[in-house]
Amino acid sequence: MSKWATIAKHEYLTNIKRKEFLFVTFGIPLFMSAIMGVSFIFMDAGSHNEVYKIGYIDRTALFETTNLTNITNFTKYTDEGLARKDLIGNNLTNYFVIPENYTATGRILIYSSKKNFADNVNIEERIKNFLLANLLKNEPPEIIRRINQPIISEYFTLNENGLKNEENGIAILLVPIVFSLLFTLSIFTSSGFLLQGVVEEKENRIIEIILSSVSHKELLQGKVIGLGALGLTQIAIWLVVAASLILINPTISLLVVSQIHISIPLLLYAMIYFIFGYLIFASIMAGVGAVATTSREGQQIAGIFSLAGAFPLMFAQFIIFSPNDVLAKALSIFPLTSPTAMIMRLSITDVPLYELIISLILLVISTYFIMELSVRIFRASLLMYGKKPTIEELIKYVRQG
Amino acid sequence: MESSVEVSHLSKSYNGQSVVNDISFNISKGEVFGLIGPNGAGKTTIIRMLLDIIRPDSGEIRILNDTLSGELKNKIGYLPEDRGLYKKLTVMETLVYLGALKNMRSKERALMFLEKMGMLPHKDKKISELSKGMQQKIQLIAALIHDPEFIILDEPFSGLDPVNMKLVKDLIIELGKEGKTILISTHMMDQVERMCDRIFMIHKGKGVLYGSVDEIRSRYGKNTVLLEFEGELKNIPGVRKINNSGNYAELILEQDADPGDILKILAAMVRVNKFEISMPSLNEIFIEVVEGT
Repeated sequence: MSKWATIAKHEYLTNIKRKEFLFVTFGIPLFMSAIMGVSFIFMDAGSHNEVYKIGYIDRTALFETTNLTNITNFTKYTDEGLARKDLIGNNLTNYFVIPENYTATGRILIYSSKKNFADNVNIEERIKNFLLANLLKNEPPEIIRRINQPIISEYFTLNENGLKNEENGIAILLVPIVFSLLFTLSIFTSSGFLLQGVVEEKENRIIEIILSSVSHKELLQGKVIGLGALGLTQIAIWLVVAASLILINPTISLLVVSQIHISIPLLLYAMIYFIFGYLIFASIMAGVGAVATTSREGQQIAGIFSLAGAFPLMFAQFIIFSPNDVLAKALSIFPLTSPTAMIMRLSITDVPLYELIISLILLVISTYFIMELSVRIFRASLLMYGKKPTIEELIKYVRQG
Repeated sequence: MESSVEVSHLSKSYNGQSVVNDISFNISKGEVFGLIGPNGAGKTTIIRMLLDIIRPDSGEIRILNDTLSGELKNKIGYLPEDRGLYKKLTVMETLVYLGALKNMRSKERALMFLEKMGMLPHKDKKISELSKGMQQKIQLIAALIHDPEFIILDEPFSGLDPVNMKLVKDLIIELGKEGKTILISTHMMDQVERMCDRIFMIHKGKGVLYGSVDEIRSRYGKNTVLLEFEGELKNIPGVRKINNSGNYAELILEQDADPGDILKILAAMVRVNKFEISMPSLNEIFIEVVEGT
């Protein structure tokens, strides 16, 4: 076995047993499904039909409760003082006043016994239905329904590639977000381990023994490849967990199959972007690790780069809602952000081929250069214990290397 | 004699400060060679350059008739001065991994060395559970596990108790007998005095002494008296310097002093248990050289 392979194997086997790795790998899916579960429960709770008893005072003489289907629990008051008393006495949950100039202004005064935003939305919906039903009482019910919900949309794209039915709704947002989140997380975990490993070996000085056996390049290659394999393992575990969760529940799997289409080319691109995204971050972390004197310092420096990597996630809404805007395009071309940003764009829009090619070429070239640079910095500053090289010294080393 | 290591005109500076300055020496095959000097003299820097861990600014290094390559690294064993191991690995995992990095399947040799060093009962313990001295022995084993031709030991005795020090010394002597080429770097000069065939002494990055231990000592003359005594030593005419350690002293005589006269004076002053005319110790020579520069 060549030496880098020995190192890669060692890195893989020791890091896969780390508590941090197990926590991220198995904790994240648990955490996410817990959050999803909880929000489903709350969504359910929110839609429970709470009992509303709504009173109203009509100063226009246009509104009636009688003869209207679907409109229940509305009580007409002629005396506002009485309505007020019933509200305080909990006989009403709300009452509202329709002023004389309502038809001209649309003003409605709503009184509640307590302040609650979610309730307001519900009550407004009910009052709206009540008002519409009254205003349109001479129209057939379909018209009333259409006025309530004039559009139920379906989108198609038509271009030289033919006609395509586009998905809509929450699924289209969920895929790129979940995808890029896991993606970023995995890249950060593995390259973080690399940083930690380098600083640790430097701190406990075993690096000297290792370097008396292998070259700097072999050491770096071995670490990068071993931990990269770890990142792929992590993603594989997530996919298996996700797949089994989906397959266990037939309604969800039906939903997923009908709503989410992950195409083979998209997976292929994701794979390429993942590998290069990881390589570029791993090389940066290796360089940072070589320069840093303690792991805390290393993490601080690395934080700057991680922030750049997390950029697309912070701006996820801009990328998703306007995937062909300047910001989204720039992020999907700049090498540190392109892996995540491009995957987001690819999963929601048709990215022109030339943009994809530019983004990939830039990513590959900068990965190569950063790797070379890291090996040189690694070699130059590795054994300057206790002393962080200055920028000038670093430049000098890199030239010498 | 065939050279295992040839170092010529080696220099290295950090931030404009010269750490190693125009150093040249050879180590013959099968020789135990001492690289000695005080702390901060540049010994470790030389060793790191020998191993291609850092690059010299100028100069040339040839080891086993080869410039440094991956293949060559497999033939070199290295015990660094800074001791460190993976804390979470067990002794055997550590040794097998470090052996594998030298392209060796090293399980049997690891067990053999553990046995020899009295560490066999600890083979499945984690490194973090071992004492410092034990960790040091593991590192020494790691340096030898691949049966290297050339062994570099940087401060091999530091932090060892007398029992382990003897163990390590015996091991070095045994390796020397096996025909291994050994470089010992240390600031404890009396330790290498009896073990090394030849030495290279370095001070502030410059070579100050180079040659066989006996030759260097006799070069500095038979003007030293080793004395064991009871009583109190005072100034003695004809003695330039006294290194007094209580009941034992090293007397450095002036050039023309007669040891016989000195003995007479001493006999009157203290009770003499032992009187030996000797060559100066490396320590003494070193101090002389350094003070002379």
